[in-house]
Amino acid sequence: MKWLDGITENGAREVARKTSRRGFLGKLATLIAGGAVAVPLLPVARGQQGVQQPGEVGDPNDCSYWRYCAIDGFLCGCCGGSLNTCPPGTEMSPITWIGTCENPADQTSYVISYNDCCGKSSCGNCLCQRNQGDRPIYRPQDSNDLNWCLGTDANSYNCTVAIVVGTALDQ
Amino acid sequence: MKKLTIVVSLWASVALAELQPESPGIIESLPDTWPAHWIIAADASFFHMSDGKFIVLDADSDDPNDRFKGFFNGSLIANFAQATSRPEMYIAETFRSRGQRGERTDVLTIISKSSLEPIGEVVIPPKRSSNMPTAYNVSLVDDEKLALVYNFTPAQSVTVVDVVEREFLAEIPTPGCALAYPMPGRAFASICADASIMAVTIGDDGRQQSSTRTAPFFDVAADPLMEKPVIYGGIAYFPTFLGNVYPVDLNGSTPVVGEPWSMVGDEQGGWRPGGILFGAADSAGNLYFLMHPEGSDGTHKDPGVEVWVFDRDSGRRSKRIELALPALSINVTRDEEPLLVATNVNMEIDVYDAASGQHQRTLGNFGQETPLTLWVAQ
Repeated sequence: MKWLDGITENGAREVARKTSRRGFLGKLATLIAGGAVAVPLLPVARGQQGVQQPGEVGDPNDCSYWRYCAIDGFLCGCCGGSLNTCPPGTEMSPITWIGTCENPADQTSYVISYNDCCGKSSCGNCLCQRNQGDRPIYRPQDSNDLNWCLGTDANSYNCTVAIVVGTALDQ
Repeated sequence: MKKLTIVVSLWASVALAELQPESPGIIESLPDTWPAHWIIAADASFFHMSDGKFIVLDADSDDPNDRFKGFFNGSLIANFAQATSRPEMYIAETFRSRGQRGERTDVLTIISKSSLEPIGEVVIPPKRSSNMPTAYNVSLVDDEKLALVYNFTPAQSVTVVDVVEREFLAEIPTPGCALAYPMPGRAFASICADASIMAVTIGDDGRQQSSTRTAPFFDVAADPLMEKPVIYGGIAYFPTFLGNVYPVDLNGSTPVVGEPWSMVGDEQGGWRPGGILFGAADSAGNLYFLMHPEGSDGTHKDPGVEVWVFDRDSGRRSKRIELALPALSINVTRDEEPLLVATNVNMEIDVYDAASGQHQRTLGNFGQETPLTLWVAQ
């Protein structure tokens, strides 16, 4: 296994460099990270589950996909789930870390909630590590180094989804 | 005639070499004090985390079989610490009663250096932080009488264990602050989200006795401190994302933040520190950091292609070591002729002479999968 080589080869690093971290909604981050809600409820229209939305381009099972700018883990779309749904028999962590990624299709930055799917061992497929905006674990709401299988029945980590929870506001 | 002589001779020697009965049940053991060039490859088993391994290797050996000394297990990215005053190591680990499911039990397991087997365990609150490995998820303080385990649920706290008496003492809340850096006596420090360092003293009962806190001293947004300092002589050298180093003196009752210095200086090329465990110190106190060029937002965990060596007081760079392969983690043995060891991107371990920077050998094919961190004999 070549750690990170795949990421370099598929150009994700380049994508990460080209997409800027334009905005960050700190209060929203705190709300998502600190609130024990099953699914973040935000004043936005609900996107369709299991597939990408019409305003997106790219392959959701490719590490370079725009939503994964701050991810570190296995892509659930390669594990029996999708970009925003967990695989069968797992449980979605209600608390998460977030990132701010720019959708190249509309050049708008969105807040992405990286929920871990839990209760089974590592999926092992489509490992993806990009760390844009990632911060050390003393800033947990921005940190992908933590196992976020917390508040779930089991803390085994399986894979990670990337859920659009709102547009990011410029600071 | 000559052929016949040889055959007879061989037959005779075979007859003389009649095998002797052997004793079953012999188990090898290791010395209490390990040679300075023995290392532990902490294999997190990233693809099946409940089956982690801590593999003991002789980094001097060119014999792939002889260099493998044995291993012990650790469950769910177990956190590691080792004593220097007694032949014990400690891992904080998590189990489920039915493997991946069932009731959760967290334990601090005491491992013998000679037998590599658990010789004790203390059940601790099922809260320990499961995170990519650091050197400060478990720390030993009070002359190695107490072990401290960092918790994240996401409420933050530190569990206090008396490892001599094998007894859980208490849990100390550390709201907003992470990890447990050792301080003299019964005390530890944590790094906080508001860019400060908190220090906590521990009473006889294991509970918090007092705490102090520095003023915020770094910019979390523009140039955050990495939470993985190199501690030497009681001073924690915290690198930042952009390659500055903040010395924080942990020798007193209150942490004292010193003047930062730059690892990069006028060097061109966008060099930054990064990796998983990317810093170490040798026994003389020289600081080693894993560096990568063309740094930008998000490269702080990228593999490094060089190791830079610094004088800890002046911040002057004394050496650049070009690595044979990019590496994720490094460590340096604690003897007078130190080895630099590095987990490379092929998940093998490259061994270098730390003084000359010469690559000596690569340790591979020892049953490893993801040896994300390396520890050295102490």
